[in-house]
Amino acid sequence: MERGSLYPNGADTSAAAAAAPEKTTMSIVQQRFKADETVHLIFEAYQIRGQEHFEGLLTLVSSASGGTYALISFSLLRTPLTASNELKINKVFPINKTFQLTTDTKGSISEQQFDLSTDDDRPSKYYYHPIRTDLSAVDFNEFCAKINSCKKAMWEAELPSETTLNFRWLDDYREIGEVKQELKKRQSQYIVYKDIIVYCATWNVNNRPCWDNNNSLRPWLASGEKAPDIYAIGLQELDTTAKAMLNGNQMQMYAAQWIRKMVESVHDGVEYEELQSVRLSGIMLTVIVRKELRQHIVRCRVNSVARGMFNALGNKGGVAVSFQLNEAKICFVNSHLAAHMTYVAERNDDYKAIEDGMRFEENGLLCRTINDHDHIFWLGDLNYRIQEPNGQQRPGPMNDAQTFELLLQYDQLRTEMSHDRCFKGYREGEIKFAPTYKYDVGTDTYDTSEKQRAPAYCDRVLWKGKRIEQLAYNSVMEIRQSDHKPVYAIFRVKIKTRDEAKYKLVLSEVLKAVDKRENDNQPQIITERTIIEFGLVRFNEPAMRDFNVYNNCPQQVDFMFKVKDSPNDICEKWLHVDPQSDSLMIDSARSIRVRMLVDPTSITGLLHKICNTPGKCDFDILILHVRSGRDIFITVTGEYQPSCFGLSMETMCRTNRPVGEYKQDEIKQLMVDVTPEYRVTMPREFFLLIDYLHKQGDQLKGIFQSYDRRQPLSSQFNAVRDWLDTWSEDEFPGTPQTAAEALLLLLDLPEQALLEPFVEDLLHSRSKSEAMELIALLSAPKRNVFMHLCMFLREGIERHDYEANNVAAIFGRILLRTSKSNVTLDYQNLCSQFMRRFIHVDSPDTNAGGNGHAGGANGASGASGTSGASLQA
Amino acid sequence: MAKKTYDLLFKLLLIGDSGVGKTCILFRFSDDAFTSTFISTIGIDFKIKTVELRGKKIKLQIWDTAGQERFHTITTSYYRGAMGIMLVYDITNEKSFENIVKWLRNIDEHANEDVEKMILGNKCDMGDKRVVSKERGEAIAREHGIRFMETSAKSNINIERAFCELAEAILDKTSGRESAENPERVVIDRANSDKAPGYNKCCA
Repeated sequence: MERGSLYPNGADTSAAAAAAPEKTTMSIVQQRFKADETVHLIFEAYQIRGQEHFEGLLTLVSSASGGTYALISFSLLRTPLTASNELKINKVFPINKTFQLTTDTKGSISEQQFDLSTDDDRPSKYYYHPIRTDLSAVDFNEFCAKINSCKKAMWEAELPSETTLNFRWLDDYREIGEVKQELKKRQSQYIVYKDIIVYCATWNVNNRPCWDNNNSLRPWLASGEKAPDIYAIGLQELDTTAKAMLNGNQMQMYAAQWIRKMVESVHDGVEYEELQSVRLSGIMLTVIVRKELRQHIVRCRVNSVARGMFNALGNKGGVAVSFQLNEAKICFVNSHLAAHMTYVAERNDDYKAIEDGMRFEENGLLCRTINDHDHIFWLGDLNYRIQEPNGQQRPGPMNDAQTFELLLQYDQLRTEMSHDRCFKGYREGEIKFAPTYKYDVGTDTYDTSEKQRAPAYCDRVLWKGKRIEQLAYNSVMEIRQSDHKPVYAIFRVKIKTRDEAKYKLVLSEVLKAVDKRENDNQPQIITERTIIEFGLVRFNEPAMRDFNVYNNCPQQVDFMFKVKDSPNDICEKWLHVDPQSDSLMIDSARSIRVRMLVDPTSITGLLHKICNTPGKCDFDILILHVRSGRDIFITVTGEYQPSCFGLSMETMCRTNRPVGEYKQDEIKQLMVDVTPEYRVTMPREFFLLIDYLHKQGDQLKGIFQSYDRRQPLSSQFNAVRDWLDTWSEDEFPGTPQTAAEALLLLLDLPEQALLEPFVEDLLHSRSKSEAMELIALLSAPKRNVFMHLCMFLREGIERHDYEANNVAAIFGRILLRTSKSNVTLDYQNLCSQFMRRFIHVDSPDTNAGGNGHAGGANGASGASGTSGASLQA
Repeated sequence: MAKKTYDLLFKLLLIGDSGVGKTCILFRFSDDAFTSTFISTIGIDFKIKTVELRGKKIKLQIWDTAGQERFHTITTSYYRGAMGIMLVYDITNEKSFENIVKWLRNIDEHANEDVEKMILGNKCDMGDKRVVSKERGEAIAREHGIRFMETSAKSNINIERAFCELAEAILDKTSGRESAENPERVVIDRANSDKAPGYNKCCA
């Protein structure tokens, strides 16, 4: 086929690969199919599931046995492909009349796409690359053209009439129930063959109603010693007069009477019941079974094929009953084929039409045909005559075996069958009875009318299938009311039956094996570790860890991190996982990166989690989910180094040493403490910042312009953090801008807004004095911070360092933060309005309640005396 | 897209303290094997096993959960889809038995209301190390109206029986529901009983 490398950039250009017999993708694909199946082309197409795309191949395959084409879609477990077991069938598209390839690009992400659909399935979408990578593949135009030509070839070409197009060969590529398949394989271990007697009878009644019959039907239906298990009785010419055929009710009545009569006339001593009757005009087939057999019969179906005038009238044609008894599929056909000596070809055509046209519905799309049965019995007035050699006289008396033998040499049916022109594969027993047609009614005399029709073996019983033995084949002379004599044949059939005890054993073994296979084939991945240890993690310092996942199972594995209930995401806010999902080919690995950053947007959540987790708190547990497989818990852990950022004013007031000297667990103790015992009146970190800012004088011009928690922090921020967390005596390591940033974060990050739990009331307070009453109820640290802050801000406004409205807006939103999701303009105005009351220089009741708070902030700080004094001034 | 080879699919869950033998019980049931080396389950594993009950092929999908304390919160999210829960303790471990109450509370909070439950006292082959008597196991099961069995994954005692009984109990419920004239009725009744106290107050 193709020369050179499979993939232009592939790895198989090595000397070893070149030395080995060349394998093209095409030849690898061909290995997946049977000898009589041919791969005509391969086309590279990929599919998209979620965010991922999956490379695959569409292959056009034909089967010699089925005479049909199909597209089979494979996904590739490895690229480049090295062996046929790396191809996984994911869908089968028989190219039948419903098959469609559509290229509607409406609303699609790519021009290079198309849909495939067949039968009632939903269309499957495929995409392709503009340039093919595999030289043995075809391009899109060629792909479409070839499919169209196949479609044409199959449905328009003249086919030899014996060929029935079928898609049965595709069953091997469709997944059918594993248990079913396995049970089928082990059939021999539980299948036994049970003898049953099948009694077939046929009679052309020549329009005579059954009450016309003075004779009993017993000689015809109750012959043989052993009571049969199944009767199949075919009648023809029930009533073919135009009057009767136009009157459905009358026909119905006739039929019912015949059925009753026949049920009455079967073998004595055994209870029988009618299983099913089917009638096409005057052709009727009735199946009667032993009562106790009924419960073992399933999937009973009937159908008919009309022939004769316009192929529709049904004066000729066939009817059939199909069913399953135990494990054996049995079919009875009763047919009345074209009449007259010379119409041999028409009879053959009728036969073929019935054989091809008879379908028994299985489930929806699937149908079984006559040939899908294990045991087929075909009876009826087949109408084949004794071919009279030209100019020869009719034979004399016909009552001895020799004459029958002679006549049968000229029997059209035997001649046609020997030339395979009809009833291919059918057999017939030896005929040791006189021709059954045509008699003068009421006599045993052949036609004495003007027409002088030649005697013939019109009425026959044939069979096809394994394990059928004929016990009797005869006509009944003494039944005389028709111009035909009735015929019957008795068979012993060994039918496939399940030995229930053995079956149970095999089933349990099969279930076990199938379960085991499913368990063993569960997609698996191995993770390098299940604990990701971050060590010491500090506020605003990113860290990351990588770990590997491997696919060590013999199939492609998809994995993804599962979204959890809480948080409603795959991981906590302070983590980032990449990739969140991927596919792993056989033997491949993927590195997963977990990044951690505790920043202003996530600190509150982390501290909350630490406080609310009993015992040691992990940063998170990720759920690594393997598609159709297990979940693996990946624990992300480490030690958070507490910082003042995010801590409440109360917590900070409980510290007895710099926050940086606390461990995660120790700070948790302080955070969950609710007693109103504080070591200082105001957090030292807050005081230090205000003090620094206060001393900057002119430098403060233009600070507090804006604030957004999500903004990246300044480069000096971490130095400021350490300065605060160590209670450093060194010079402030940043600028007034950094100090302002730190101050705002210190106020903004705690879980609770500074003015909680009174935010709602404060927003709606009408005056400063009303608000002050509430503020007096705040915890001491909060109250002190608030008052100290207001004094500081007021001073700045007085000095025109910053603008009152702007500051009111920024601080108002922080201090009166609400968890309500919809922050309205109105709310923002209320916040600003509230703040303005406290920082406005001309405010009449500036000092109310403010006394002593700032000054009492703490005695620990050397700077407090001066700053407190100046602020109070 | 494998075709289904079963009539019914039941999802079962194994829960209980770490080390009580949940994985061993599952391994015994699915593979009829036992290993004494302890490998802690870090996540959720599952195995399937098809059983025939009353002529129906029932595929049991059994989820084995991590018992470690740190995973307790996360494993509760798996309770929801379970139709049956096996709550396992170790008869040689008092603590694991005491925790049964905690596990039952977890089930109440997180599992479907009509989940079938069963308590298993595992390691019953280790009679000499027993600290929880069978009577105590039976008592707690009776108290909560739950099935109880002592099992041994190692000696293969009662393992198959336990799963089949649990599956059968689910099957009873399922078929009962199918035949019920009005499947909604149960829900309606429950809603009414919830409202009942308030309604009474109004009338009083």
